[in-house]
Amino acid sequence: MANPAREPLVVDAILIIDDEPQIRRVVRNSLADIARRIAEASTAAEGVDLAAAEQPSLILLDLGLPDRDGLDVCRDLRTFTSVPIIVLSARHSDREKEKLLDSGADDYVTKPFSTLELKARVRAQLRRAAAGPSDARHKALITVDDLAIDLVGRTVQRAGVEVHLTPTEWNLLRAFIAHAGQTLTHSQLFAAVWGSAAGDAQQYLRVYVGQLRRKLEVDPVRPRLIRTEPAVGYRFDLGQ
Amino acid sequence: MTEVSRAATEEHDFAALPAGPWPRAERRTVLPLRQWFLWFAVLLVVGAVMWTVRTRLDKAHVVLAFLLIVLGGSSAGGRALGVSLAGVAFLAFDWFFLPPYNTFVISDPLDWLVLIAFLVTGVVAAQLLEWRRQETELARQRADEIDRLATLGAETLNAPRAEDALGAIANVIRQAMGTEYCEIFLRDGSALRLAGHSPGERQASEQAGLLAYAVERAEAAAERSDGTLTLLGDALSSSRSLEAPPVLLADLLALGIPLRVRDRIVGALRLSSSRPFSVSDDQRRILGALAYYAALGAERVRLAGAEEEAESLRRADRLKDALLASVSHDLRTPLTAIKGIANEVWNGGDPHRAQIIEDEADRLNVLVGDLLELSQLNAGSLRVTTALNTVDEVVGAALERVEAAHGAGRIDVHIANEGDILVGQFDFAHTMRVLTNLLENALKYSPTDSPVTLRAWKDHGVVRFVVEDEGAGIQASDAGRIFEPFFRGSGIPDGTRGTGLGLSIARQLAEVQGGTLTYEARTGRGSRFMLALPAGVGPSVSS
Repeated sequence: MANPAREPLVVDAILIIDDEPQIRRVVRNSLADIARRIAEASTAAEGVDLAAAEQPSLILLDLGLPDRDGLDVCRDLRTFTSVPIIVLSARHSDREKEKLLDSGADDYVTKPFSTLELKARVRAQLRRAAAGPSDARHKALITVDDLAIDLVGRTVQRAGVEVHLTPTEWNLLRAFIAHAGQTLTHSQLFAAVWGSAAGDAQQYLRVYVGQLRRKLEVDPVRPRLIRTEPAVGYRFDLGQ
Repeated sequence: MTEVSRAATEEHDFAALPAGPWPRAERRTVLPLRQWFLWFAVLLVVGAVMWTVRTRLDKAHVVLAFLLIVLGGSSAGGRALGVSLAGVAFLAFDWFFLPPYNTFVISDPLDWLVLIAFLVTGVVAAQLLEWRRQETELARQRADEIDRLATLGAETLNAPRAEDALGAIANVIRQAMGTEYCEIFLRDGSALRLAGHSPGERQASEQAGLLAYAVERAEAAAERSDGTLTLLGDALSSSRSLEAPPVLLADLLALGIPLRVRDRIVGALRLSSSRPFSVSDDQRRILGALAYYAALGAERVRLAGAEEEAESLRRADRLKDALLASVSHDLRTPLTAIKGIANEVWNGGDPHRAQIIEDEADRLNVLVGDLLELSQLNAGSLRVTTALNTVDEVVGAALERVEAAHGAGRIDVHIANEGDILVGQFDFAHTMRVLTNLLENALKYSPTDSPVTLRAWKDHGVVRFVVEDEGAGIQASDAGRIFEPFFRGSGIPDGTRGTGLGLSIARQLAEVQGGTLTYEARTGRGSRFMLALPAGVGPSVSS
């Protein structure tokens, strides 16, 4: 794909919802070269209002707000906006991360965070949002390194040699490509492949992914395509 | 009355108990038939001897001799033998020793008196001896009973686990009472918790409220086969006097008994059968004593639980002490550095020194995370979600973290994935933490140009992970302590920083998942850490 993403990306507004003035200050300073304006809210109520009024391009949401549970706020925001939401949390339980992503957040940053990390996450989300729905899904042929995936012809070749995929592996691969660059939680991935039907397959999800990796990755222990988001899910990385 | 009671005892008395640890009392040692033969022979011989010299004998001599034989016979062979001897001696005396001889005719009326007096004395003596013998027998049975209870007490209170004792007591009570099932419940606040039961299937027919009713009223209660509940008062109390009228305990489906120790109800006992059962007077009496053992057993379980709780509190307390010591040192050291450098930079020092502030803050962050995790582990509040995971993925995630911090290239990974992909049943996040910790340690405590190896394979139902380095290893004197919180080995080079919590957390994280983490020194040089976790089974057909 052409690479507009590497050019400096500047947006109009970013909203930060956090009750700690020090955190808001750090965010304001570090994102100054990404957003022309940083809107600040110290409570959930104020934050939801501002999200509607200011139409920010991205929302940073602290989980430990005094007035409401962060997960609720996240779901609320999702009722009227589809801009990326990055959650800031000091409670760095991996299980919470999965719940967050399932509630509509796009990414999470654990406190304490470095400003470099925060900027990188914000840029990545903005770029993904700007690119619109994954380009990959509209392509019939995807090539990464020595791997060629033909979605129409249902063939995968690695270094010119055809790789045989089972139907389950094909479905997984298609779901990954449809959500390329995006973190998919285990339950989101399961729903994308099997629908909502619960069954034996759910417990084997990680095993199926492992088998797919062994067919696609050069080194399945250090995967470059199907990345692991520990205890949360997977991210299909086309190296954008 | 004594006769009836003894018969009942013999009929029900632990007839169903195993012979094993219960010494079965020997009944009469000499066969009655031999006694009869012996004493009639004595009578015959003595009679014959006296007959040969009867002209020189007075009637009184004969009577006394026969009386002695009757007494001897009845004391050795019981009342029946005594009375029979008396009867036969009576006839023999009349026939052979009272003139006119060889007839039952009695010429002198005074001889009647002698004869009747002999007969009455013999029979009364036999009867008295019999009563005495029965009393002795009863006392012996009581002693047996006490013996059995003592054995039961010793055996049950000696069971290695307090809960096992309750199961054993329940089984003994079930057998002694001849019911199908016996359960012992512990009182837990206002609720009852099943703590031990006899083997077999529980009978579902009894009313659920029986025990609650019995405990609430502090009285034994019975469920009759018509479904009604009856309170039994002190019917099962061991202090109930023997003269009190017998209580009819028949046609029962279940019996609920509150268990008391020192006037406090510590639990309850339920006996039940699918068919109506009854409890005899003697069973009732021993049930009181057996129920007391059940109560002591229940009390013991409660005390053991309290002791465990106290032990966990003591552990938490020790950890808190170690924590306070650590907080004062390990948290303050980086804070001091941060404060000093911030002040320096503020006063126009080299702004690049602010990098140290960030490093120290990172170190504090790691320590805070470790302390949180350790306290969660100790409080038992850490959540563990085991699921089917691939070894590839968890090793990959750990590698990504470690190599991001320490650079790639030093870690050799060998995962035995030939054939089926290697899977385990473990918590992903916790296992990743353990592996990250082991790999970081291996990199930190070995020369920067030496390799670190991670191998994983399946071995009899477990997945084994082994992390090896070629560093200095751990001093033998420290090897036993490296998994203790805040322990730092003496051979650690200066400048190598750690919280002293990593291995302690790693081991506990392995254990909460049903795994183990162990250390051994490598022959030659270096350390070897071995993590074992339950293996898993992947989908049978890779569809």
